[in-house]
Amino acid sequence: MSSTRTFAVTLTIPDNEAFTAYETLGRLGVQAARVVRADIWQFEVDESSGDLASTVASIETIHNPNKHRLAERESDRPAPGEVWIASRDETPATVVAGRAIAGVRAIRRRTAWRLLDDSGRDVAPADLDRAVETFLCNPAFQVAITV
Amino acid sequence: MSARVAVVVFPGTNSEDETLRALFAVGLDGELVHWSQPERLGRFDAFVLPGGFAYEDRIRAGAVAAHDAVMDPVIDAAQAGKFVLGICNGAQILAEAGLVPGTGPLRRPTAAFAPNASGRFQSVHVHVKLAVPPERVPLLAGIEADAVIPAWASHGDGRLAAPTEELARIGRDGHLAFVYCDRDGNEVPAPNGAALNAAALVNGAGNVLAIMPHPERDGWTYQHLDASRDAARGDTRATLAPSGGIRLFEHFARAVCGGVPA
Repeated sequence: MSSTRTFAVTLTIPDNEAFTAYETLGRLGVQAARVVRADIWQFEVDESSGDLASTVASIETIHNPNKHRLAERESDRPAPGEVWIASRDETPATVVAGRAIAGVRAIRRRTAWRLLDDSGRDVAPADLDRAVETFLCNPAFQVAITV
Repeated sequence: MSARVAVVVFPGTNSEDETLRALFAVGLDGELVHWSQPERLGRFDAFVLPGGFAYEDRIRAGAVAAHDAVMDPVIDAAQAGKFVLGICNGAQILAEAGLVPGTGPLRRPTAAFAPNASGRFQSVHVHVKLAVPPERVPLLAGIEADAVIPAWASHGDGRLAAPTEELARIGRDGHLAFVYCDRDGNEVPAPNGAALNAAALVNGAGNVLAIMPHPERDGWTYQHLDASRDAARGDTRATLAPSGGIRLFEHFARAVCGGVPA
């Protein structure tokens, strides 16, 4: 019996990649006041995975406490207003940073994006779709996952 | 009069100097043009997008650069028939810009140089073989059929990836410009897991070429891994002679100069 546990890693320092996305999307005419990015790590685990959250938090490739915030998600799907970009032909990893994690059968990584308006609310779905189609996802090898 | 070739430099480009040196070696008048100077690009006869990590490969390799304002005149020039050569990161940019294979709308990529199958950055010496009839690639004027070019593959994102039907079109319609091969020209599996063993793509008109391995990094005898380097040892002139991968630039020069008054 296995289950999926999902963690989001965000930067607590300025996110240059998100800012670059913001700038490029602006050039493409996609209006957003702010672009938010997160690394999504999904672990397919069995019952012997133990305290996975502590283990993940201790792997600096995933989470460097000097600059990252780690949070476990309740859902293994994107939140409303969020899009995950994944590789279409992804082969799940079994190790991270050269290290196997007890009880973890597979590891998948996605990039989560949210576009916020001036009031901090998600932009209209059509605007997010346009951002995905014009820039955030290369459909030749990537897939966009929404709720 | 020598043809003028712009070497377009993005923040994160790292191969502009050796690319420029290769252009000089074949008699082209190369010049670096930074991303902040798109207005300068109007006066060039051809363009090279060199290797590196434009914009730190943020979002995807080549994605941000493909939408940079400096690419507007490059795209316009490509559509007007001028020659555009992309090497490594430059190849990734051309794919993200939709210029290769060029089967869809601009800046809506139909193929990608995606992360290597190994999941790691790889730096290996390779040979690549022309996989289309020479007349399909006017950008490499005079190149012989089945020409084999040595180069260094040095990338983390060099695996050609595309939907099945697009890969079929790439093969069927002559967009697969070079494949990986051994020194004798026998096709070998791509070190990065690329579909079709692709090392380079060309657009329909044959004036835009995107090649992943670096011919300019095996363009001088001292850079070769074969016996020619040892044979030249002790002979400074022979050791420093342009050879090997420089052949690709010689054909590029022949193409570019074909449209420039002597």
